[in-house]
Amino acid sequence: MIRGGDIGIGTCLLINGTPHMVVEREFVNPGKGAAFARVRAKNLKNGNVITQTIKTGDVVEDAQVDLVDCQYQYTDGEFFHFMNNETFDQFGVPVAAHEDRGPYLKEGETYTLVMWEGEPIDIKIPYKMVFTVVESENYIKGDTVSGATKPVKTETGLVVRVPLFIKQGEKILVNTETNEYVERVND
Amino acid sequence: MLQASCPNPVGPVIHQIPTDRYTSVMDLTVLQERSRMVTIVRDFFLSRGYLETDTPALAPSLIPESCLEVFATEYVHPSHGRKPLYLVPSPEIWMKKVIAETGRSVFQICKSWRNAESVSRIHNPEFTMLEYYGVGLTSEDNIRLTEELFAALAADATPRHARPPFRVVTMREAWWEHAHADLDALSEAEAMREACRERGLLVPKDASWEDAFNILFLSLVEPNLPQDRPLVLDRYPAGIECLARDIPGTRYKERWELYVAGIEIANCFTEMGDPDAVRQYFASQAAKKEHALVPHHIDARYAEIFEHFPSCSGVAIGFDRLLMVMLGRTSLQDVMLFPFDSMR
Repeated sequence: MIRGGDIGIGTCLLINGTPHMVVEREFVNPGKGAAFARVRAKNLKNGNVITQTIKTGDVVEDAQVDLVDCQYQYTDGEFFHFMNNETFDQFGVPVAAHEDRGPYLKEGETYTLVMWEGEPIDIKIPYKMVFTVVESENYIKGDTVSGATKPVKTETGLVVRVPLFIKQGEKILVNTETNEYVERVND
Repeated sequence: MLQASCPNPVGPVIHQIPTDRYTSVMDLTVLQERSRMVTIVRDFFLSRGYLETDTPALAPSLIPESCLEVFATEYVHPSHGRKPLYLVPSPEIWMKKVIAETGRSVFQICKSWRNAESVSRIHNPEFTMLEYYGVGLTSEDNIRLTEELFAALAADATPRHARPPFRVVTMREAWWEHAHADLDALSEAEAMREACRERGLLVPKDASWEDAFNILFLSLVEPNLPQDRPLVLDRYPAGIECLARDIPGTRYKERWELYVAGIEIANCFTEMGDPDAVRQYFASQAAKKEHALVPHHIDARYAEIFEHFPSCSGVAIGFDRLLMVMLGRTSLQDVMLFPFDSMR
């Protein structure tokens, strides 16, 4: 059980029997009223995001989860296929519930999976990741307004705005929370 | 040549703030806007015959409000011991005494303090309050007056969604529109809890009517209120205990809240004029305050001022929030010179 006041982003709540991960949280005091935590939580089975409001002093059921390191292998469009790094068990995570994770999954890379009752319910994405630019438009020399950027596509299909000097085939570091370019990475 | 020896031709060195000393850089335009708005507010109310009050920040006793925590301090007498005092969470306790005494409409801009609230983009424990009470006014009159005040305050930077005219929606209409629930049919606690459960909301089995109301309101109604214009949410249910007058023959009170960009900016009560109803409110709230983090004294004789209280309607506006929305900003940190969390 967890107190409303202790709920934070990333907390897993059990809502009507289904695990939900908190993606937004704010404290509100409606019109001089009691304090409530208003959360937006993602259903980890179907990806739907719902709003719940919990009085900060009340308790609600949280989902007891395990974190397991797994290697991402490939997707067949329906599932993201992973292998448990310790047991070598292979399993699929439904794409429909975690579509937003797709552009951050690199084949052969290890990710932390959130497991609940033996089932994978979420894929944690590292805060910063290195990607390779596979599609980039050339810009015209002279078009160098300070701070100008252009969109590029990575090997995973992620679209990021980068400075004009970044070329196809180069590697870039990306903040995965904001989808912002951080820096060019040299091998 | 004096000028040539000046190390900083751009401006006087004194205005440069070393970034290792402050976490934020002072935005003087915001300071100037605040000053401009305070001047407009003064002119606005003085020209309408309101009396400006200047009441104490420290009070020996407060109105019991079970959901507010306060800041406690004490006066130390050189020889006669100590006396507990509290920073006011709102100047109303004093202002209503002035109204009872003079029968005048009053306004005030002053600091107020609320403890144990999270510090966030819309909360700061110390904040500036603007309160105005109009004798003989109804809450509808105050909607119009507040609209005029907004028109007077609008700056070039004020976005469309913070400018009048206001949209007025009753609480009942908002519940119907956004939650397909008939508030009139939900007067019992169990009916309100069931309405939460039917909509998939978590609600404790023993939740009070007010808690269940807030759970549904905050989850489904408030986040979906239209934000293209300032919105007055009118006629709060009587089930939410407060010092606003009941609307005869209904289960609603003469109370509204003003939202701008989804944020509560103002709260308006047409004041309860019946001393017995005030006593009842005090008793009920005092009982709920038993578990307060910061207990405080209550003025047992406060209800007496309502023996001869003129009919009046009052508005309390979070002035920093008002400044924030008027300038199109999204965080209180943007409009306060020394926001609370920068004073570690």
